Amino acid sequence: MIKTRIALLTATAVMVAAPALADWAPNRPIEFVVASGAGGGTDNFARTIQSALTRNDIVDAPMVVLNKGGGSGAEAFLYARQNAGDPNKLIFGTNNVYLLPYVAKLAYTTEDLQPVAALALDEFLVWVKADSPYESITDLIDAAKEAPGTITFGGSQSKDTDETLVALIEQVSGADFKYVPFNGGGETGVQLAGGHIAANVNNPNENIGQWQAGAVRPLCVFSPERMAESEPIGDDMGWHDIPTCKEAGLDIESYQMPRTVWLPKDTDPEVVAFYEDAMKKVAETPEWQDYLTKTSQTGAVLLDEELASFIQTNEDNTVKVFQAEGWTAAE
Amino acid sequence: MTVRRFHAEVGTAFATAGLGIAAVTGAAGLGFGWEESGPQPGYFPFYVGLILIGASLWNLIRAFMKHRAAVLHERNSGEIEEPFLRRENLGRIGTFLAAMAGFVIGTLTLGVYVASTVYIAWSAWRQGGYRLWVALAVGAGFTIVQYVIFEVIFKIPLLKGPIEPLLGIY
Amino acid sequence: MGNFDLLMHGFGVAITPMHLMLMVGGVLMGLVVGVLPGLGAPNGVSLLIPLTFALDPTSAIILLSSMYWGALFGGSTTSILFNIPGEPSSVATTFDGYPMARKGESTRALTLAFMSAGVGALVGVVVITLLAGWASNFALQFGAPEYFAVYFLAFAAFIGMGSASPAKTLVSLTTGLLLATVGMDTVTGEIRLTFGLDQLLSGISFLVVVIGLFGIGELLSTVQEGLRFRGVSSKIDLRDVLRTIAELPRYWATSVRSALIGIWMGITPGGPTAASFMSYGIARQASRKGEAFGTGRPEGIVAPETADHSAGSCAMLPMLALGVPSSATAAVMMGGLMIWGLTPGPMLFATKPDFVWGLIASMYVSNLIGVILVLATVPMFAALLRIPFAIIGPMIVVICFVGAYTVSNASFDLWLVLLFGLVGYLFTKLGYPLAPLVLAMVLGHKAENAFHQSMILSNGSLEIFFSNTLVTSIMLIALALLILPKTLQLGSRLRRKAPVE
Repeated sequence: MIKTRIALLTATAVMVAAPALADWAPNRPIEFVVASGAGGGTDNFARTIQSALTRNDIVDAPMVVLNKGGGSGAEAFLYARQNAGDPNKLIFGTNNVYLLPYVAKLAYTTEDLQPVAALALDEFLVWVKADSPYESITDLIDAAKEAPGTITFGGSQSKDTDETLVALIEQVSGADFKYVPFNGGGETGVQLAGGHIAANVNNPNENIGQWQAGAVRPLCVFSPERMAESEPIGDDMGWHDIPTCKEAGLDIESYQMPRTVWLPKDTDPEVVAFYEDAMKKVAETPEWQDYLTKTSQTGAVLLDEELASFIQTNEDNTVKVFQAEGWTAAE
Repeated sequence: MTVRRFHAEVGTAFATAGLGIAAVTGAAGLGFGWEESGPQPGYFPFYVGLILIGASLWNLIRAFMKHRAAVLHERNSGEIEEPFLRRENLGRIGTFLAAMAGFVIGTLTLGVYVASTVYIAWSAWRQGGYRLWVALAVGAGFTIVQYVIFEVIFKIPLLKGPIEPLLGIY
Repeated sequence: MGNFDLLMHGFGVAITPMHLMLMVGGVLMGLVVGVLPGLGAPNGVSLLIPLTFALDPTSAIILLSSMYWGALFGGSTTSILFNIPGEPSSVATTFDGYPMARKGESTRALTLAFMSAGVGALVGVVVITLLAGWASNFALQFGAPEYFAVYFLAFAAFIGMGSASPAKTLVSLTTGLLLATVGMDTVTGEIRLTFGLDQLLSGISFLVVVIGLFGIGELLSTVQEGLRFRGVSSKIDLRDVLRTIAELPRYWATSVRSALIGIWMGITPGGPTAASFMSYGIARQASRKGEAFGTGRPEGIVAPETADHSAGSCAMLPMLALGVPSSATAAVMMGGLMIWGLTPGPMLFATKPDFVWGLIASMYVSNLIGVILVLATVPMFAALLRIPFAIIGPMIVVICFVGAYTVSNASFDLWLVLLFGLVGYLFTKLGYPLAPLVLAMVLGHKAENAFHQSMILSNGSLEIFFSNTLVTSIMLIALALLILPKTLQLGSRLRRKAPVE
C-alpha cells in the first residue's frame, strides 16, 4: 500500500552546511505574500517570521504582509508568477504550492516558484468527540466498515490536505467514510465538539482548546514517532502520550504538512542564498521556538536539495492518492 | 442627444439577461445535476442564472408595454415622456466619468500618487474655477496625507509608477 | 454572582493609565480605518498585530479590540455623509442615514447612529458578562443545517417586504447571488464562473462591489444633478447633538429588538453584517409606515447600528470561548491570541481569568470612550459637506479607488469599482433596489455552503432542515417572515375591497 516515507525528519536540529555569505541584500521593502487570509495558519507562520526577523535584526529592510488567500491560496502563487524575477517578494504557503495545480486548472505551475525553505511540519491527528464510543483508530475504522458511508469526517476545504488524508485512510484501511468540507480547522473543531460530525483530522493547535476542555480527544497522530513531551493537556494526557497511527494499527507511517517559503522564479542564486540564510537564522530565534511549542508543530529546517527531495516525495505520494480518488484535473 | 427611459430599461434588461446567460453557460460546464451527495457545483449558479434571465425578460416586456402606453399618450396629448437623461446631464456625467477613467488609467501607469495629485488638481482647476497653483496645492496636500496614512502609519503599499523610485520611495 | 465579582476584578485589570491610553489610541486609529472605505477593521487589526508583540496579552487585546470598536463607529460616518459604507456592516446604515443627511440633518443622523451603536455595544457586553458560559454552549448547537436556517432567516427578514418591483428585486437578488459564486467553491473545490480570468479566481470582493455601487454610483447621481452636494446643514453645533440624544428614548422598542437580533447573530455564526440587514428588515416590517423607510427614518438608522454593534461585541464570545470567529476581525484577533500564546477555547475563561475579564471590562470602558470621541467628531465630519464639490468629489473618488485597491491589492479591482459605479447609478435611477444585491453577496455563498454541507450530511434529503427543535423553529420563523407580510397585505386589500362589492 501507500507508505509515506519521509526520512528527512531531523527535527529541530539545525544541521545545514555552512552558509555561503550572501552577496545580495534587499534595498526596498520586502513583501510577505501569504497564501491564506488574515488569521489563518499560514498567516500566523508568516507573521511569526516577520517578528523574528525584525526583533533579531536579521533583515534591515522593512517588511509588509499581504494576504492573498483567494482560491485556496492560488491567488498568491499566481501573483508570484506575475512577478517572476522580483527578489523582494517572499511567498508563504504549505504543500498547496505544488499540490493545487493537480486538482484545479490554474494558470501557474510549480515551476513558477523557487523553493527557499521549509521550516516546520504540522502534524495531523484523528480526533473524536470525548464521549464517542471509539476508543482507538481501529474502533473507528471497524465501525465504518460495518456501516459504510455513515461515519462523518469533517475537514477544512475540499481536495485539500484534510480530505486527502481521509481518502488515504480509506485507501489503506478499506473503510468508507463520509467527508464534509468546512471553511477552516477552527470551524471543523467546533463542529466536532458540538457532535455534528463524528471525527476530524485537525492539526494540534486547531483542537487544543477543545481538548483542554474535555470536549474532544485524540486517537492517534500521523507521524513516524510520537510527538514531543509536553505538559498534560486533556485527560491527563500530553502530546507524547498519543500513539502514532502506525502503532495503533493503521498502516500510514507519516502524513505531515510542511510550512514553506518561496520566491518567484528567475531570481539570482545570491537572492535565494540570502533568504535561505535568513530563514536558518529565524529557526534559531526564541520567537520561532516559542511558536513551535505553542502550535505543537515539529521544527524542520529543509533547504536546497533536502527541500527538493522532500517536495518530490510529498508530491509523489499525494498525487497517488489524488489519482486513486480521480481528483486530478482531467485535461 | 437625450436618452429615453425606455432605452435605458431595455439596455439594462439585456445586460442582466446577458449576465444570466453567461452564468448558465458557465455553470453548465460544471454540471448542474443533483447527485447522491447533493447538488453539483454548477447547480446553484445554473438555476439562479435561469431566474435572472426570466426576471430580465419580464422587465423587458414591462418596458415595452410602458413604452407603448407612453407613445399612445404622446400621440393623444402631445406630452413627451420625461427623458431619462437630458443632454446637459449626459455631458456632465460623461466628463466626470472620463476624468475618473483617466484617473484609473493614470493610477495603473504612473502610480496612484501622481494620478491623484493630477486628478484632484485638474478638477479643482477646471471645474471648481480655482487658480492653478491653489488647485495643485490641494492635490499635492491630499496626496501627501494619503501617503502618510497608508504607507507610513499603516504600512500598506499602494500602486506606484516610474516616478516614485527616482525619489527613493518604494 | 460569580460573574459580577469576576467583572469587578476585570475592571481592576483594565483601568490603568496605560490601558486607558491604549483604548484612546486604539479607538482613534480605528476611527481612521473605519472612515476609509476598504481599509476595514480586519485590515487595521492585522496591521497592529506586529506592534502588540511587545505588549502583554491583556494590553494587546485591549488595543486591538478598541481599534475594532473605533472602526465600527467610523464605518457609519461615511455611510451617512457620502453613502459610502466604510465597513461592510454599515451598508444598512446608508439606507436611511444618507437620505436623512441629504435632508440637511447630518448631525442628527450621525448622532443617532453613534448613540445607538453605543447602546448596542453596551447591551452586547452586558450579555457577555451575564451569559458567558451559557452562550458558548448554545453556539455549539449550530451545525450545517442550523447555519443554513440562520442565513435563510436573514434573507427572509430582509426580502419579505419591499416596495420595489418584484421583477427588479429578483434581478438584483440573483445578480448578487451570482457574483458571490465567482471563484473557488469551498465544498466542491471547483473554480466557478471565472471564465478563465485569473483575476476572478479569488472571487469578487463584496467590499469592492459596495464601494462601486454606493460610493461611485451616488457620486454619479450627484454630478448629474449639478456639481453640488445636497443637504448641507446650515449650522452645526453641539446643541443639535444633545437634542438628538434626548430624542433617542422614543425608539426604545426598535433599540431593544435590534439589540436582541444583534446578540443572537453575534453568538450564532451570522455576524454583524447579517445582523444589521436583518434588524433593518424587521424594523421595516414592524413599522406601520413601512413604506416610508429609505427616506431618512430615524428607526432606519437606530435598527442597523444597534444590531451591528451588539453583534460586534457578542462576536467576541464565540471567539474566546470556542475558537470560532464570527467576524473577519475576530478571526484576525484570534490569530493574535495564538501568537501571544493563548489558546482560545472553553478553558480560556478558567485558565486566564485576568485576560478574559480584563477584556470584557475594557469593552465597557472603551465603548464609552468611543461614543464620546466619536460624538466630538460629529461637527467636524458634518462640516466636510461644506467643502465645494469640485474639491471633495474627486477626493472621494480617490478614496473609493484606493480603498478598493487595499482590499486585496489588486489593480483589477479598480476596473470593477468603475463598472459597479455605473451599475449602481443605472440601478438606482431605474428603480432596481441595491440592498438585495448586497445582502445576497454577503450571505449567498455562505448559505450555499451550509446547504451543500447539510445535503452531504443527510444524503440529499431536505428533511434535515426540520430534524430537531432548534433548526425547525428557525426555519418556521423564517418561512413566517417570508410569507406572512404578503398574506397580511393581501388580506387587508381583500377586506378593503369587500364593502365595495
